[in-house]
Amino acid sequence: MSACENPNVDQDALMTRRQKFDGKTKICVKCKENTGNIVIRYAVYCKSCFFPLIQTRFRKSLEPSINVIPDGSRRKGLKAAGSLVIAFSGGTSSTAMLDLVAKTYFAQRTGDTEERRGGKEHPRNLDRGVWKGKPVVCFVEVCGAFDDQRDRTDEIKAVVGSYPGTPFEFIPLRLEDAFNPLWWKQVTGDLSTSALSLGLDMRNEDLQLNQSTSEPSPLVALRRYLASLPTQTALYNAIHILTRVLLLHTAASRKASHLILGTSLTSLSVNLISGIAQGAGFSVAEEAKEEWKSQRGASVRVVRPLREVGMKECAIWDWWCGLHIVGRSRKFIQGGGRSAIGALTRDFIFGLESDFPATVSTVARTCAKLTPKEGSDGICVLCERPAQHGVQAWKSRISIRSYDQASSSITGNTRPPHLTETEIANLTLTSQDVSALTPSLTPRLCYACHTTLTSRSSRGTVHSGQSPGNIPIPTWVHAALQPTVGNEDSSDDDEDAEITQSTKLSQMEMKAQIVDFLLDEQ
Amino acid sequence: MSTISLKIEFGGGLELLFANQRSHRIDIPCRVSTDNDTTVKELNEKEAKAVDVSYLVHHMRDHMLKERAELFMENGTVRPGILVLINDTDWELEGEGEYQLKNGDEVVFISTLHGG
Ligand SMILES: [Zn+2]
Ligand SMILES: [Zn+2]
Repeated sequence: MSACENPNVDQDALMTRRQKFDGKTKICVKCKENTGNIVIRYAVYCKSCFFPLIQTRFRKSLEPSINVIPDGSRRKGLKAAGSLVIAFSGGTSSTAMLDLVAKTYFAQRTGDTEERRGGKEHPRNLDRGVWKGKPVVCFVEVCGAFDDQRDRTDEIKAVVGSYPGTPFEFIPLRLEDAFNPLWWKQVTGDLSTSALSLGLDMRNEDLQLNQSTSEPSPLVALRRYLASLPTQTALYNAIHILTRVLLLHTAASRKASHLILGTSLTSLSVNLISGIAQGAGFSVAEEAKEEWKSQRGASVRVVRPLREVGMKECAIWDWWCGLHIVGRSRKFIQGGGRSAIGALTRDFIFGLESDFPATVSTVARTCAKLTPKEGSDGICVLCERPAQHGVQAWKSRISIRSYDQASSSITGNTRPPHLTETEIANLTLTSQDVSALTPSLTPRLCYACHTTLTSRSSRGTVHSGQSPGNIPIPTWVHAALQPTVGNEDSSDDDEDAEITQSTKLSQMEMKAQIVDFLLDEQ
Repeated sequence: MSTISLKIEFGGGLELLFANQRSHRIDIPCRVSTDNDTTVKELNEKEAKAVDVSYLVHHMRDHMLKERAELFMENGTVRPGILVLINDTDWELEGEGEYQLKNGDEVVFISTLHGG
């Protein structure tokens, strides 16, 4: 029966989702013998064919990137240049990933499972010692970002320790470690005190760096940083970025050649779409595959071995293997992020996957093929991803901005158009006093990070009322700024030269230009 | 009124919405209202159907759910991102909500909303 046949019956019948299985045959497409147990993108599989299917997809996504230079000879002689770091959140897909890693590369040797898993041709011996040293499972506890979240570190530790033969070393991190000089010292080295005393001025788009006398605890610093962000979307974005960079530096400090993330096909599509929506289009291909280089020259491959495996398959893997899902912070599943772009995209993609399962993999594949037109000319100091050349110039071309002082337009200062004239005047006073002396963070940021820190939502900021004059910044930003702080170097001048001279517009003139597009104020 | 007995299980953190209890045994009527109204006392046989998964989902929402119905149901069925297994088989192979429940059936609801 078509879902739309009779709109006069009840609401529920009307809303019936499209059936994903045509009912022709329930026999497994793989063994063509057993009755199927699960439908994956329109194909029916039995339970015994499901496990090798998922494991194969996992290996296909991971193994070509294991050797320094892929030799094309598929799985013979897998040898990584360094160790393995596994990012683990306790959520559905990273739980599946940890299990797959354990079973594929670090399984206890028993003839029994050998037989069952691989058959006689299975070159299990080759799997031994793919990576150097003991693999590390790294977990970032994010509860510090919120008021009422429980700490799940112990639960996570129990899951990691539950694998037979304890193949994994567990490294628990906390989101506030991003602001902890001691953590930074552990993973990289020292920071000069001058760099550490810098704070960020969030009052205008220059994001100037000021000398700060206060030295808040890492947790307080984290809270102040997050509270300074202009939108819900920015808040979740920032948590995502901090988590990622914490993992990357931990991986580098362990001499890891690979950091693997449990991003499923479904989440990958969510990340890609919401990334584009938030101006991270430049690094969208990075989300699919990336090679990160630390400031000290270490190189870590970031691989998402579940990028061909949907969230559904991950959840079924977990269930059939009897794995315990610790779960992610509740803030990430509900409430808090509702209005954030990430949450909206997630609802969209989950709905899409539920109704049209094949579409989601198309989204991921299409995004992975995107390549930016212009090259990158550096690394964003906040997210440590490639930053697009001339971002500020581009931003000033596509946005209507008001340069209320000719002098500030020459130095490339820009003003958010939604501030009042008085606010702008005040800001200009502040920034003009210091702009000649103070370095600005803006030229060192990618477009997405700059937007995260500065764009205001039409509904106003999340945490109004706090004065964003001296916001703590993550330790790696301090480190990246270290060599140039205090003396404006030539690279900054280059950036400035790129800025196009914009016409001076008053608030009234601006309004006149866009009057046809304005909605009535209620 | 005759009833059937079912085993309900939760995975992927969905149990949090159901008093944090992962396994439940419940009894539900064999014949139920076609509009999935779970409060009907006197069932009119003309508007009755054999109990199916669609009714079960409404029953769970009305009588078992402890909080936040919107995280379990949407548009009269389970929310996208929640998987259903009937006797260890994807409900998509069993007709989804139209599957007619039998005494002793095991129905599993798994949330994928915990993501990464
Ligand atoms: Zn099969
Ligand atoms: Zn960035």
